[in-house]
Amino acid sequence: MGKIIEINHLTWQYTDTEKPALVDVNLDIEDNMFIGVCGPNESGKTTLVSCIKGLIPHNFIGSYTGEVRLFGKNIRDLRAKELAEYVGFVFADPEAQFTSMSVEEELAFGMENIGLGSDEIRERIDWVAKITNLENLLDKSPYDLSGGQKQRVAIASVLAMQPKIVILDEPTSMLDPMGKDSVFNICARMKEELNMTIIMVEHTMDRLARLSDRLILVHNGKIERYAEPEHFFENVDELVEMGLNPPASIVFLDQLKRAGLYEGPMTTSVEETIEIAQSICARKESVQ
Amino acid sequence: MTNVIEVKDMHFAYRDGTEALKGIDLNINSGEFIALIGQNGAGKTTFAKTLNGLLKPSQGYVKCGGIDTNQKRVIKKLVREVGYVFQNPDHQLFNNEVGKEIAYAPKNIGLSDEEIEERVNEAAAVAGIKQDYLSMHPFFLPKGLRQRVSIASILALRPKVIIVDEPTTGQDYRQSVEIMEFLKKLNEERGHTIIIITHEMDIVAQFAKRVVVLCQGKLLLDGATKEVFAQPKILEAAYVKVPEATRMAQALTANGVSKDVLSADELWIQFQEAIGR
Repeated sequence: MGKIIEINHLTWQYTDTEKPALVDVNLDIEDNMFIGVCGPNESGKTTLVSCIKGLIPHNFIGSYTGEVRLFGKNIRDLRAKELAEYVGFVFADPEAQFTSMSVEEELAFGMENIGLGSDEIRERIDWVAKITNLENLLDKSPYDLSGGQKQRVAIASVLAMQPKIVILDEPTSMLDPMGKDSVFNICARMKEELNMTIIMVEHTMDRLARLSDRLILVHNGKIERYAEPEHFFENVDELVEMGLNPPASIVFLDQLKRAGLYEGPMTTSVEETIEIAQSICARKESVQ
Repeated sequence: MTNVIEVKDMHFAYRDGTEALKGIDLNINSGEFIALIGQNGAGKTTFAKTLNGLLKPSQGYVKCGGIDTNQKRVIKKLVREVGYVFQNPDHQLFNNEVGKEIAYAPKNIGLSDEEIEERVNEAAAVAGIKQDYLSMHPFFLPKGLRQRVSIASILALRPKVIIVDEPTTGQDYRQSVEIMEFLKKLNEERGHTIIIITHEMDIVAQFAKRVVVLCQGKLLLDGATKEVFAQPKILEAAYVKVPEATRMAQALTANGVSKDVLSADELWIQFQEAIGR
């Protein structure tokens, strides 16, 4: 699998701010990955993904050093149309990206903008409506939908552009647990079935830890960790210090390790952790 | 303990006929810290809005501090009993200065200028809003602080009960804990009864003493937090998942771990006892 995103020594400072939002960031992301991005508010997560979408430096004023390359090309040399074809972006508040009075028009908007023919648009609308389970809602106003449905419309409108990379910035922060599940399920399918690369910024760690191939921790404008979940959760105390709330099963497994009760690999699975705990109990009983 | 809210066989139907609440009985006592949970559409927000007279029951009654919300001309009295903080502070804040925002409600109930000033200063101090901020525009403050301004604007009415709809939405973990610690302080040190509406079960486990679960407009469960989370099967029917630490403890009860676990720390203590360390 090749690298599709390369960030080399990227430092970015918004104009009128005292310090850079990103400091000497280096990052390689390979094709068809599910990348989870976490870190406290104001740490630079949104800035980082804005650099991958090219919103920075194209739409913001500030000082930019280093480079971001998408599919080998410097993002500064890419035109808006090319960027739209490479990267889709879903915001925390779906209403912030709505422009139309029906779900169908909303889905068509981006495709009309890049000049697709009406047959192609029709075909893609049917396709994304099916994937995101919006088939019965196409005539409705996006504003009349539930939170989870609205976010599915926002995702579908991005999906319709068939980008290779989809970035979602806190897509479930306004949703209830069922709405959160539906968004995570769709993102998992986009990676598995459509071979897309998903980059998701999220605060709640439990779902993200279990779905991501790699996790990124952004803290004070720097990438502090970039690893597979099994390695990302080594040294739980440090993560807590940096403002994260690791899932309870991982905290528990970390305690087992530190107490010398478990020496195997780290896992993010609750079921596996329960089995590990049960086998420790069984061992103690047989000794007694 | 004195009763602050009494809800009796309360129904509520919206104008289009949708019955959002179907016969709720609930008593809330002074000084409680309650979490109201359930999936979206279960009736949580509708229920909360009936508690301060924003919505009036179509059947049965709600009494706040003994006042029936269905009576006429009681709103001035009710706002001193129960305050409701909206989920999104931006839906509630509309003044161009933080100080004016906090002064708005006391002014509306006809208090004197002196009294209003005293209450604004008191509410700002309790909510940790510095004097410098009082002349600022609320929309230029960070979200956590905007949330405090919306709570302060309710505090200025000195209500006995404060309802906060989704206090932690969109905040990171540290900010969530901070706002919850603030509500805890209002509860423990200043005696306010607190009701939060939330989907964050870790927050419920850590802060609420009592949990009320709504499902399809009915009261599904009501009890101490540990008792409610000890019934995962019933909760599952309401699409509520118990906290991960509780779920793990419940899977380890056969190994001697108590199922009354609410946090990873408690789980670890229980587990050590179970294996005799």
